[in-house]
Amino acid sequence: MPSSDELSPGELTTEFDILMRRAGITVPDERRATVLASYADLRGQIALLHNRYAHTDEPANIFRLSPREGQ
Amino acid sequence: MDTADLSIAGMGRALRDGSVTSEQLTKDALDRVAAKDAGLHAFVLVTRERALADAHRADSELGASIDRGPFHGIPYALKDIYDTGGIRTTCHSKLRIDNIPAADSVVATKLTEAGGVLLGKLATHEFALGGPSFDLPFPPARNPWNVAHVTGGSSSGSATAISARMVRMAMGSDTGGSIRGPAAWCGLAGIKPTYGRVSRRGVFPLSWTLDHCGPLSRSVEDSAITLGVLAGHDPADAASADVPVGDYVSDLNKGVSGLRIGVPRAFFAGSPVATAEVLAGIDRTADQLRAAGATVEDIALPEYALFAAAGRVIMMAEAYAIHESDMRNRLLDYGTITANRFVLGAAIMASDYINALRARRELTDAVNGALGRYDALLTASALCPAPTFEASVDALASAAPMQTIPFNVTGHPAMSVPVGLSSDGLPIGVQIVGRPFDEAMVFRVSRAVEVLSGWESVGPPM
Repeated sequence: MPSSDELSPGELTTEFDILMRRAGITVPDERRATVLASYADLRGQIALLHNRYAHTDEPANIFRLSPREGQ
Repeated sequence: MDTADLSIAGMGRALRDGSVTSEQLTKDALDRVAAKDAGLHAFVLVTRERALADAHRADSELGASIDRGPFHGIPYALKDIYDTGGIRTTCHSKLRIDNIPAADSVVATKLTEAGGVLLGKLATHEFALGGPSFDLPFPPARNPWNVAHVTGGSSSGSATAISARMVRMAMGSDTGGSIRGPAAWCGLAGIKPTYGRVSRRGVFPLSWTLDHCGPLSRSVEDSAITLGVLAGHDPADAASADVPVGDYVSDLNKGVSGLRIGVPRAFFAGSPVATAEVLAGIDRTADQLRAAGATVEDIALPEYALFAAAGRVIMMAEAYAIHESDMRNRLLDYGTITANRFVLGAAIMASDYINALRARRELTDAVNGALGRYDALLTASALCPAPTFEASVDALASAAPMQTIPFNVTGHPAMSVPVGLSSDGLPIGVQIVGRPFDEAMVFRVSRAVEVLSGWESVGPPM
C-alpha cells in the first residue's frame, strides 16, 4: 500500500470515496474536507504498522477454547 | 458539617460515628448539583428519588449494624454509558435517547450492593468518543477550573462533577485515555485498571479490546477504595481476569523509598505539543520521588507513535464493527465529530488491524520488559493543560495532546494524578504505570506523588 505521502490529493480522495462507497456510507459534502484530512492522518499512522513484522510475529489475539458460562 | 470536602474514608468515619447520615450527605450533594450544574452540564439525569431511597436504606442498615463496607452510604454518579436498570442510559446520543436498560451493569450492581447512593447519570462524549460537541441531545460538560475550557474526554461529566465538588467519585471508562485525560485536565485522580480487572458487562462498548472501567475521584485514596469495591472476576465478561483482588489501601502511605521508577522520556520530551510547564511538572515529580528515596531513571520504550498508531487502528476498526449499520443508515443522527471519527473505521483493511494486533504484542512485551526492571513508570498524562472549546476543534488524532493510549494497547494499569497548576490556573497531571494487576503499587506511587507535589493544599475550584 503506498503511504499517504505518495498519493496525490486527488488519488487520496478517489481512494476514500471508493472505500466509503463500498461501505455504503455517504459523507455530507460539508464534512468531506475534515474527514479527508483525518483519513490522511490515519493512513500515515497505518503506514507505521506495515512492513514491520516477520511471518513468525503473531497478533495478540485472545480467544477462548472453553465454553462460556451458561453455554 | 460541610460535607463537600469529606473524602470517602472521611464520610465512612462520619457515618459510623453518627456525626452525619447518608441522607444528609445525599441532600448536600443534590443541593450542590442543583446550585452548580446549570452552568457546568455534568449531569444528563439526576436520579433524586433513587438517591434518597438509597440513602435511606444505607442509614437504616448502618443503624441496624449492617455494614456493607467502605462505600456504604457514599453518593456517586455514573457516566451515561453504564447501564442502569429502569433508568435511561443514552451514551449522550440521539441514537439511544430513549434507551432504558432492563438491568444494571456489573459496576452499577457492585456499587449498589456496596451500599452506594446513585445521584445520577453523567455527560460523556458521544459513545465515549465524539466530543466535545454542541450538536448532541445534551450540552458538553465544562471545566470547573475555567468554563471556557474543555474537560477532556470522554468521561467529561464525571470529571466536572467531581472537580466542582458535587460528588467525590464518579465512574468513567477509558479506551484511549477517557479516565486519565479528564482527570489530568480537571485536577483529579483517575485510574485505568489492568485490562480485565473490572467487568465491562453492561457498559456500552467503544472498542472491546481497549475498553476499561474505572473511577475518577478527588484523591488517590478515594480511587483505591472504589477499585476495591469494583475489582473482581466476572465469568460472563469474556475479557475478565480470574486474578485475586489485592488490598489497595493498606500500602497507600508506604512511600517510595527503595522503589525503582522508569521514565520513558522520549514519549513526551520531543513532542511539539508539550508545554514547558507540563515537562517541568514531570521533572519536578521525578526529583521529588528521588528525594523521597526512589531510584528514578530514564528508560527507552518503542517510539510513542507506534503505540498511538496501534491504538487508533484497533479502536477505529472495533468501533466501526459496532456502529457499521448505523453508520450506513443513521449517519446524520450522530454528532458531527462522532460521525467524522467513526466513518474512518470503514477505511481500515484487515491487514491494518492485524498488524496493529501484532504491534500490540511487541509493545506489551516491551512494557513488561521495562516493568521487570522497574516497579512503576512515570510519564505524561496530557502534554498541555486543557484547551478552550474553540482550540480543541479538529485536532488531528496523531497530534492529540493525550499520552494515555499506550496502556490501553498493552493493558497495564495506569493512573493520572495532579501535580500542580499552570500559569493560567489549569491543572497539570502526570501518569503512573504499573505491572499487570499491581494496582496497589500504582496507587502507592500515585499517593506519594499526590503528597510530594503539595496538591492536597491546592483544592478544587470553588
